[in-house]
Amino acid sequence: MLEVKGLSKRLPTGKTILNDISFRVDKGEFVALLGASGAGKSMTMRAIAGLTSVTAGEVVFSGESGKCYTTITASGKTSGKDLRRARRNIGVIFQGSNLVKRLPVLDNVMIGRLGRIHPLRSWLYGFTDQEASEAMAALERVGMAGFASRRTGSLSGGEVQRVAIARAIFQRPLLYLADEPVSSLDPKNAEAIMQLMQPLAREHPILGAFHQPGMVMHYCTRVIALHKGSIIYNGAPNLSAKQLDEIYCGQADRPEATQELTAAAES
Amino acid sequence: MSASLAVPSNVLPSVRFRRRMALLVVCCASVAAFLIYLKVDPIEFFRDFHFVSDLIKQMMPPDLRLLWVKHGLWTSLLQTVAMAFFGTLIGSIIAVILALFAAGNTSPSWALRLGVRTLLAVERSTPNIVVLLVLLIAVGIGPFAATLSLCIGTVGMFGKLFADAIEQVDPLPGEALIAAGASRLQVIRYATLPQVAPSVVANVFYAFDVNLRLAVALGIFGGGGIGFELHLAQSVLRYKDMLACVILILVLINVMERIADALRRRLFLQEV
Repeated sequence: MLEVKGLSKRLPTGKTILNDISFRVDKGEFVALLGASGAGKSMTMRAIAGLTSVTAGEVVFSGESGKCYTTITASGKTSGKDLRRARRNIGVIFQGSNLVKRLPVLDNVMIGRLGRIHPLRSWLYGFTDQEASEAMAALERVGMAGFASRRTGSLSGGEVQRVAIARAIFQRPLLYLADEPVSSLDPKNAEAIMQLMQPLAREHPILGAFHQPGMVMHYCTRVIALHKGSIIYNGAPNLSAKQLDEIYCGQADRPEATQELTAAAES
Repeated sequence: MSASLAVPSNVLPSVRFRRRMALLVVCCASVAAFLIYLKVDPIEFFRDFHFVSDLIKQMMPPDLRLLWVKHGLWTSLLQTVAMAFFGTLIGSIIAVILALFAAGNTSPSWALRLGVRTLLAVERSTPNIVVLLVLLIAVGIGPFAATLSLCIGTVGMFGKLFADAIEQVDPLPGEALIAAGASRLQVIRYATLPQVAPSVVANVFYAFDVNLRLAVALGIFGGGGIGFELHLAQSVLRYKDMLACVILILVLINVMERIADALRRRLFLQEV
């Protein structure tokens, strides 16, 4: 379960990046953030992962054990240790460019768990054989077991994205964040990645940013639409063409359009 | 005025030609001025050339018997290689560590970064010979002083280079690890260092190349090794021995270059 409360971010120049964002993501959900570029999707993700500072807000998440983690506390202060402890439990699936291209595929999966192993061991010894076989299992799950010893830089875009997902799986998180995981892929590969993520969401909720409404409607359980840093829609994924138009074409600036969207989401 | 379009004066061929000629005249005049100021007489070179040819005649033929009569020569040769090797190895290790403190994206504080950058700049601007002369007084004549001097030179030369390479690393893989709860040190170990490894390895080979030549030169000034043998032969006017040493040095440098090339090729082939 993830709870985002009143997340706001304003730049010193006065520009509002995020405006009082609040939502929940519950167990078993696969939630998509939609919105035009610059609407605040990535910034919301980065804020949840504690990778950017915010002006106000709180982010809390917990797993089945009930233990709560926060990346942003209401007081605005999170100690480095608490932040690291929380981050360990968030599996961020970045776009593929965030893998270390010069390391073998298996290493790129294993370094997802660096937050859980002692720094001294990570420097002097590295990972254990047990961890390596667990990483192999994660690779197997995304269909990349045969690539374990290949250099990551030699993989194609779709393959890299699978490895990124394997890393997040291996990390054993309570929550997945996926920042445009299929944006750089061709339709067939994008479809395959969505098919991989769907069963993952049943284990731990996924919050993802997407630019493909068609795919989102097919695979996701809920849509949250952002426009200029505010939530303008939070509801079922079956959006009409008119609603999509309003999300993407800026007509949401009209207050009545937002009301229509809200009404549609509630019904 | 003709009807044709006027060519802009800065690209007009005749103007450009005049500009080139003016530049040539300035260059020639400054060379002449320097020659007069430094009292260099080009004719002297031809008048006194017989000194050089006499010396070369005295050097011929090189006394290659030395190679099997004087066993000390081989130990000296090995000493020179060892000086270059350890100077490069230890220097590079220190350079990488200092580079991590000098690079903006890995340094723990800007004050430390400024301090290390200044230290590297000082080391870089001090000639090896000057460092050696100081060290000769401190640790005495011999290969140890030369190795230390090479070490310091390597740190100065490559510390900044490595720091710049670290600063150019793609930050996104490191950020991904931060997002998974990794510490800064873990990011350096698993995201930063793997990315700079090829540039560091290539530069270490280059450093060895430079240091081997320097090791010979430093030997002449009391650093031991084959350079010192060369200096000895010259000081007792045994020019045939000297030429033998020079030949040995040329062969050594070429052989080492081949070995380094082969190693490098193997290393980079494996990485693919």
